[in-house]
Amino acid sequence: MTTVENIMNRRIITASPFDSVRKAAEMMNEFKVGCLPVIESGQLAGIITSRDIRCSHPNRLVIDAMSKDLITVTPSCSIWDAAEIVERYKIERLVVAEDGKLLGIVTKLELYHELGKHFDTLTGLNRAEYLYYITGKLIRNNIALSIVFIDLDGFGEVDKKYGHIIGDEVLYRVANIIKAHVDEKLDYPCRYAGDEFAVVTVRPASTVEEYALKIVNAIASYNWDGGMKITASAGVVNCQPAIKSDCDIREFVNIASLASTKAKKKGVPVFTVFYNKE
Amino acid sequence: MSFSRPFEIGRKAEVSIRLSEFEIPPIQDVLVVGKKAPIGPEAVKRMVDALSPEQYVVIRLEHDVFEAAVLKKSLLKFIPQDKLLPIILKECSAIATEDSVIKAQLNIVVQVNKVVDL
Repeated sequence: MTTVENIMNRRIITASPFDSVRKAAEMMNEFKVGCLPVIESGQLAGIITSRDIRCSHPNRLVIDAMSKDLITVTPSCSIWDAAEIVERYKIERLVVAEDGKLLGIVTKLELYHELGKHFDTLTGLNRAEYLYYITGKLIRNNIALSIVFIDLDGFGEVDKKYGHIIGDEVLYRVANIIKAHVDEKLDYPCRYAGDEFAVVTVRPASTVEEYALKIVNAIASYNWDGGMKITASAGVVNCQPAIKSDCDIREFVNIASLASTKAKKKGVPVFTVFYNKE
Repeated sequence: MSFSRPFEIGRKAEVSIRLSEFEIPPIQDVLVVGKKAPIGPEAVKRMVDALSPEQYVVIRLEHDVFEAAVLKKSLLKFIPQDKLLPIILKECSAIATEDSVIKAQLNIVVQVNKVVDL
């Protein structure tokens, strides 16, 4: 999973608390940065931003002008969590620190650039890595979850028969059908790969199979152009109560994937597996 | 045409010196620091600690105009901080802005009247 450690800038220009605001401003201009973390005795003491500089007399000490209420993240923070923090606190830069030691800095722009790599522009859904992120997050927070793994049946034939442009159009519309079934508070959809989609959901386990069936039926009953017949099979893995936080998330997702294969083999629209690994 | 005396070419400087003794401490009794003053609370603290160690107390303020006040500790033996500070801030607010650093000198007279049985 991509974390801020993968994208943070490690070469950081810092200020001393006893530098003047004027000097800090000159450093920001010289190095073309919008903020300077302030280090005192090797520890992160605060951050002085261009806004702090605008609001302070240049004669002041940095310690009298800096922001002391620092919002920091650890290097292992995922880029999605980091983006949430940036939005929540309306900040442009995120300081990466651990045990009071400054490790790096990430700008909002860098974060969104990285997030863009995990976003599928064809369908407007997140890619597979988001699935791992959200699954891990729910498990860490001890929230029971299920994964609905949706695999289009014989999609290769659609590409061969109608061409990739039409194939892409089908994927786009399937994504829209899935989105129409998403409750933002309960469901987290993604395009897993190719013609495979997944929805991580925190709906009650007893309702997930029915939820998956609704999506599969909606795909099958959609009014596809040119009499195309598009169907899908879904694999569901669910568990209640929540699984242990040290479980292998990839294994968990893989079970959902295999469940969708079983659904195809058995000729049923949805196949459900209960995951209860102690 | 010729001049009997040529123009004096050159630059002159006139130096006047005013000497006085540097007051220690230079801040007298009270210093009130505006939020956008050229010095902030930490700088003030360092200054008074260096010039007059242990004689002043630096109080950080939650105030519209001022960020900190420095009070001579000996004054607080006459009047407690919670009584003295509002008076100072009220008077300073009337004349100061966020950019100001106000120096104040206080004269405190404590009047005592006692009735003694004869």
